[in-house]
Amino acid sequence: MNISLLQRIFFFTLSCCLLFVLLLGSVIWSSQAIELAFSRNNYAQQLTNQTNTLKQLVANDNIYDSNYSINDWQSLELKLTALLKSSPKLTDQQLTIQNSLQSQNESLKNLFTLINKNKLKNASEVIKTHLKAKLMTQLEAIRSDALHLSAIAQKDIYNTIKNQAIFIITVSAVSILALLFGAFTLTSIVRKSLNEVKHAFEKNHSGDYQNIQLSHHSKEFDSIAIAFNAMNEKLSESTVSLTVMKKIVEERTHVLELLSKTDPLTQVANRRALFERASMEFSRAKRSKNKLTLLLLDCDFFKHVNDEFGHLFGDELLIHICNICSQEIRDIDFLARYGGEEFIIVLPNCDIAGGIETANRIQNSLAKHCVTLDGKEVCVTLSIGISMLSERHKNLDQLINDADKAMYLAKEKGRNRIEVLPAPNLH
Amino acid sequence: MLIVFISAVWLYSNFESHWQQPKYPLMIAVSKTPLSTPFYVAKAIGAFDETCVSVKFDEVVGGQRAFAKVMNGDVDFGTSSDSVIAFQSLANKAFVTHAMFVQSDNDVKLITRTSAKINSTMDLKGKRVGVTQGTASEYFLSTLLALEGLTIEDVELHHYKPEQLMNGFINNDIDAFVPWEPFGFQSDQLLNGQIKIHNTKSLNSLSFNLISVTADNLLVEKAKCVIQGLSIAIDYIASHPSESKQIVMNELKLSAKFIDWVWSDYIFKLGLNQSLMLSVESQAIWAVATQMTQFNEVPNIEHFIDSRAMLQVMPNAVNIPQ
Repeated sequence: MNISLLQRIFFFTLSCCLLFVLLLGSVIWSSQAIELAFSRNNYAQQLTNQTNTLKQLVANDNIYDSNYSINDWQSLELKLTALLKSSPKLTDQQLTIQNSLQSQNESLKNLFTLINKNKLKNASEVIKTHLKAKLMTQLEAIRSDALHLSAIAQKDIYNTIKNQAIFIITVSAVSILALLFGAFTLTSIVRKSLNEVKHAFEKNHSGDYQNIQLSHHSKEFDSIAIAFNAMNEKLSESTVSLTVMKKIVEERTHVLELLSKTDPLTQVANRRALFERASMEFSRAKRSKNKLTLLLLDCDFFKHVNDEFGHLFGDELLIHICNICSQEIRDIDFLARYGGEEFIIVLPNCDIAGGIETANRIQNSLAKHCVTLDGKEVCVTLSIGISMLSERHKNLDQLINDADKAMYLAKEKGRNRIEVLPAPNLH
Repeated sequence: MLIVFISAVWLYSNFESHWQQPKYPLMIAVSKTPLSTPFYVAKAIGAFDETCVSVKFDEVVGGQRAFAKVMNGDVDFGTSSDSVIAFQSLANKAFVTHAMFVQSDNDVKLITRTSAKINSTMDLKGKRVGVTQGTASEYFLSTLLALEGLTIEDVELHHYKPEQLMNGFINNDIDAFVPWEPFGFQSDQLLNGQIKIHNTKSLNSLSFNLISVTADNLLVEKAKCVIQGLSIAIDYIASHPSESKQIVMNELKLSAKFIDWVWSDYIFKLGLNQSLMLSVESQAIWAVATQMTQFNEVPNIEHFIDSRAMLQVMPNAVNIPQ
């Protein structure tokens, strides 16, 4: 059953009120019960007193005396009878005693009338004494009943107070437990639901569109959950999450980086990437005193090829050269298009001999692999200038410049050859 | 927590109900009179089942026979009127009274033959009067006579068993008799027109009491249980008078008319108080003074009262010097 928080609070308050009314009612009831018990006790004590007075009268006066006035007796007896008629509301057990009292009082009156009839003029002293004893017995019976009534009333007072105390303590204890339980449940539902809503908001914040799953259902929180979940659904439909976005941006950035560093024709590194990488290698080699060699390759007669076979073929040739170079260099080497038909290969940890060897391998490979155009093989050569980092190179440009000079030297010396600057000692 | 509490209460009550005291088998001599109503009701509603005794009744006619059975050891307890107690106390018999359970101020009646023209007690002089010796019947006659300055010497006393009083009257052996109920009512029914029932209400209050031989602790314990049963029965009588009347009618095979005749005179109430002692004492003194008995000394009545059982069941209803 889905009960709203408002309903819960309403029931809770209603229960509090009911318990309060119950307590109040029981206090009022018990105060009345105690009052009644007190009035019964009071009644019984009045009876006892009245009977005692009558007993005294009978004991002290000579009721058989011819001059004895019965006025005192009559007034006291009338009072007793009136008192017996004015009894408060009595219980069944007390009513039995009350009946006994009334019956004893009738006997008392009859006995006294009999005694006073002619003052028992024919009777002996023995019967007179006996009848007086009977009168006293009768009064004693009334007194005993009155005492019994009083004892019951007193016990009633004690029992009523005791029962009321037990009742109030029990009701209070149960009420407190019930209220604590109710308050705890209510707080727990609100706190749990709030936490669940908060958790969902936090998830939402990080782009994780999760629905609110309520462990306790209440109309109020259910409506929040429904609204939130509906909103979440729409948001998740129209919004790309931040994680996905980051991933896309990273991918795009990577692609852009690649594009910005790649020569679009040959798909090898472009001039910018070359300078970036070469500068890094230059600095590293300088710092760690390692060797660094540059190869500057230039396609011989490339202009002729272009003129003869067209630019498209020229482009294809450049791609071919790049493929050859890529195959012949080490993983740590770096090939880049320097410009036009010029390429540079950066060879870290490589001396002049290594550079010459690489250059030779490239030239040989290129000589073996010509490009085919319309069934006709077109072979190209490369003039390669090599320069190795030395003390005199203050910056990368100087090193490139040396490689450039060496390449021009190779061109000058007939192309398809390798020149080194500065000239190695072995030559 | 509530479940634990409820089961604890349940276990406790179960334990209580199984942990019953031993049941003492008892025989009680019950006088066949509506005065014994609390006993019949207790038996009928199973009031003794809740106590430590299982009770069987030995029904007798008159408290005097019940008393004899108690003294012979035939029964454990008996029901006797205060008059019987008074007469028996003079013989210093070893018995005690545990509780008074009913009183009536009109149980014993003076019934005279209409033709004998007895209009007042004075007219009894010289007449043949039937009584049951040593009972409320004899005591009541003696006080009636004394009120007019007469003694039992002034009448011709005939002693009868209570149930035979009426036969004596029918056989014309006596002119008047002093029976107790239900014989008063039976006489009224059978001899209607031939008899006059004198209005003596309030002149003799009679009580019926639970007696036993002088009690040891075990007997007191048994008396306690009997009184507990009687207490339940008396509460039932107060709250269910018509059902109680029906029970007595069935038990004693009495008519509704009779029950209505006597019921208003009865007050069913447990007690053990000074008035009982005074009543017994005054009757004993009277018996000695009027030479109704061979004994001359009135013993201390306190010896014949044992309040231990009553103090355990209904301390409120005990009012005697400790």
